[in-house]
Amino acid sequence: MKRKRNIFNLSMIVFFIMFVTSTCLLAGEAGDLVKQTIDKGLNILKDPSLAGEEKLAERREKLWKEIRPLFDMEEMAKRSLGRYWKDRTPEEREEFVELFTELLKNAYVGKTDTYSGEKIIFLRERQDAKYSKVQTNFITKTAKEIAVDFSLLSNSGEWKIYDVTIEGVSLVNNYRSQFSNVLVKSSYEELVEKMREKGLKG
Amino acid sequence: MARLVFYMFISALIMYTFTVSTYADGAPASQGQNDTTIITNNGKKPVEETDVEDEESEFVDVELETVFIQDPVQPYNRAIFTFNDKAYYYFFRPIYKGYEVVLPEKARLGVRNFFTNVRTPVRLFNCLFQGKFKGAGTEALRLVINSTLGVAGFSDPAKKYFELDIQDEDFGQTLGRYKMGTGPHIEWPFLGPSNVRDTIGLVGDIALDPITLLFLVNPFAPTGAKAFMGVNDLSIDKGDTYESLVEKAIDPYIAVQDAYTQNRSKKIRE
Repeated sequence: MKRKRNIFNLSMIVFFIMFVTSTCLLAGEAGDLVKQTIDKGLNILKDPSLAGEEKLAERREKLWKEIRPLFDMEEMAKRSLGRYWKDRTPEEREEFVELFTELLKNAYVGKTDTYSGEKIIFLRERQDAKYSKVQTNFITKTAKEIAVDFSLLSNSGEWKIYDVTIEGVSLVNNYRSQFSNVLVKSSYEELVEKMREKGLKG
Repeated sequence: MARLVFYMFISALIMYTFTVSTYADGAPASQGQNDTTIITNNGKKPVEETDVEDEESEFVDVELETVFIQDPVQPYNRAIFTFNDKAYYYFFRPIYKGYEVVLPEKARLGVRNFFTNVRTPVRLFNCLFQGKFKGAGTEALRLVINSTLGVAGFSDPAKKYFELDIQDEDFGQTLGRYKMGTGPHIEWPFLGPSNVRDTIGLVGDIALDPITLLFLVNPFAPTGAKAFMGVNDLSIDKGDTYESLVEKAIDPYIAVQDAYTQNRSKKIRE
């Protein structure tokens, strides 16, 4: 009987320890950057002077202006083109980065309008000299948890986002699959053409 | 002895609940004005590793080579994909939009919770098959709590008050855990993207799924129930997942195939 009581006491202690929590997060620079990015974005979406249908274009422009510098578009475009990047001329590369940026802008900035009232939880951050990964959970109004990871790259101390992974689906990988499939079957020019079309539609 | 265990159980529940409420209030908001809150870490100490040698494979992800997904019957798959896409936009979307109007969100969330609760055995057994005993226990506990406190599963107090999360496991993931390869990609009418392994998984889960028992009532009842579940889920999701993926894509078929495959890999890993 005594033994059982000891086990009971032990478990009581264990549970008591569960009370002791620490709420501070030692965020690295990369994590701070992601937080800042999200903060800035949310401020714009919440800004009452930018609210309403008429201000839609203005809001999106402002949002894009704020967020754009924190993404390393060239790195993203390069990685999504994969092994086809090295064969491109500097002009082609520049053009591709532009098209890719336009593609992303149309795709994502439009979607942010539907975002409001959700919670963002920072889970963990891993960082070494050059790379960092910041893991977050976006919690929607319907209490659904979406795992969003930001991959960052440091260019002499300046951190920029080069990939976003949503529920395990990496943006860069997804585009790379698409681009590779197009390039295997047709030419680079065709890909550029398709991207232009998509950019116009946006 | 039994009484002691009973008291332990009750105090464990109380402790858990206490701890949960401590966590819930403890998190600071970064911008007080927004009603969107950025919470740092929810009260738990973060894991910050500056030494990432063992994480190398995940970090130095400069794998500039594309992994081509096995797809020997791609023309067939693409055709089915086009069919599914049209079916979504012209058939299912109008249906769930209409459904949205008829049933308020709270009720639809309740329906989702109900079905999730009913299908607990699928997740529970797959947790066991994968040796995830904690997960199995969590699912069992969720079933008990939600069926009682949660009024036959329409509510989810297990998650809200006890922080017991859904353990998203299915037989396809179990097979993946046991290192079964995905096999070729398959696009099923209505069901959407899948692969050989996950299709076997779907079939296996039919045996574990209580909804299957509805066939005793009517041979089409399980299918009908699942279709209803699907429409309900879509209405909550508002089609965002599918539409946002497809609209942004240069090649929607590949976008969906790739997203599906990456997502499944992630689920198997955890």
